[in-house]
Amino acid sequence: MIELEHLTKEYGKIRAIDDLSFQIGANEIFGLLGPNGAGKSTTIKILTTLVKPSAGRAALDGFDVVRDPLEVKKRIGVVPQENNLDRELSAFDNLRIYGLLHHLPDLEQKIEEQLRSVGLWERRRDNIQTFSGGMQRRLLIARAALGGPRVLFLDEPTIGLDPQVRREIWNMIRRLRAQGGTVLLTTHYIEEAEALSDRVGILSRGKLIALDTPANLKKMVGEYVVEYLDGEGNQLTRMCASREDAECFLQEAGIEVRRRRSNLEDVFVKLTGQRIEK
Amino acid sequence: MNWYPIFLREMIQFKKKLFRLGYIFTSMMVPLLYLLAFGLGLGRSIQVPGGTYLGFLLPGLVAMSSMNNSYNWVASGLNLNRVYFKTFQVLIQAPIAPTSIMAGYVLAGMVRGLFASIMIILVGLAARAGFYLTPLFVFTLLLNCFLFANMGVLIGMITKTHEDTSTYANFFILPMVFFSGTFFPIDRMPSVLQAVVLCLPLTHTNILIRKTALDAQGITAVLVMLGYALLFFILGSRKIKNYSE
Repeated sequence: MIELEHLTKEYGKIRAIDDLSFQIGANEIFGLLGPNGAGKSTTIKILTTLVKPSAGRAALDGFDVVRDPLEVKKRIGVVPQENNLDRELSAFDNLRIYGLLHHLPDLEQKIEEQLRSVGLWERRRDNIQTFSGGMQRRLLIARAALGGPRVLFLDEPTIGLDPQVRREIWNMIRRLRAQGGTVLLTTHYIEEAEALSDRVGILSRGKLIALDTPANLKKMVGEYVVEYLDGEGNQLTRMCASREDAECFLQEAGIEVRRRRSNLEDVFVKLTGQRIEK
Repeated sequence: MNWYPIFLREMIQFKKKLFRLGYIFTSMMVPLLYLLAFGLGLGRSIQVPGGTYLGFLLPGLVAMSSMNNSYNWVASGLNLNRVYFKTFQVLIQAPIAPTSIMAGYVLAGMVRGLFASIMIILVGLAARAGFYLTPLFVFTLLLNCFLFANMGVLIGMITKTHEDTSTYANFFILPMVFFSGTFFPIDRMPSVLQAVVLCLPLTHTNILIRKTALDAQGITAVLVMLGYALLFFILGSRKIKNYSE
């Protein structure tokens, strides 16, 4: 569904993304994980025709994002990281203008369906400046999903939201996939990438440093982590391939240690020596 | 009709602004000040051929207001939507041609310019300033709004910050207000300056808007205005097409 070949974007001397090549299959939820500044948003902006790449190519459903932008635009829905709703318009008008821009048939019915599904139908006439951050994010998702896009892009969809709203949004993303869509989401939340993604691509400084299912990525670095304090009080970690290895280390160490299952943060630390969530 | 959603969006915003207290008053403030200062004050001592100074000034104020409002609404709104509110992203990511985005903004700018012009025209008619709404007057007004709304899109696409919008206005719009024949006939100026002033689009609006019938000079004015409008339309559409954040 989505193909990237040696995709590169430079802003002056800074290389925001560097020679990215990977593919995303139809009906897949693909997570791009990495710290701020890793190049996640730039990748989404290129795929959604907002940014022109410096080199390489990207295509969606066989259409090149630079040469056939109109065909690409017909197939996508975008939830940006920065709220780009029209602040002076009501929730309903925001979706109405969007629907007209995308030539959607049965628009009023679609708007009602979407607003009901995100619990904002009763507030449809209200100016969105009166909405909370979570409500605005739900409206952004409703807008992106309005036309039933083939591919939905979500850039940090739950950033700054409380855990309950975050889970609601995860469920919305899962529903969209269940309806047959492909999802590309970026996040710097480990839990989010693990909970939602079929496959995860890990970005660091514009480069793709790993790509696999969350389970395989964790298996690669060791499924268990043992955390302990050294003589000077520094926390150290040791990756263990299996539960038995971890048990063995616990007994040999003879000091106070904590054992837990590894997560994608551990994968990132192992590969880059840095942390994602700071 | 791909321009319609963009136009509709701008009109919803415009309608909301209209209901804000003082908006109409604020939008009429500048032309009214000019009318009082130049028309009733300074104007008493200015002689113009073939009529009263007020009759000369009012069409100029209509041209000026339509230019200012068409330009400002589009240039300022587009800049804010692009740089601050990011709502322009939604248009770029929609499956519509750059010329449709351009047309939507231009038509909205024209409505804004026409609205401000109608206010001045009403004042003029009430003051019995001695000017008449001929078809040529209306045509000139529409063409002027079209021209400067196009310029507004181009500048709105170029400016990097909101302050830049006023910089462009100070360098291009304000000189035209004073030198393009709004307040006095351009033949009162030195011939060198006249040659420069004849390159400015508003000069041709002012020539055309005061004519009772289309003559050779009027046709030249129409062609110059159309030429500028077309140039701005092409450059603006190209800016939208090549948009990259």
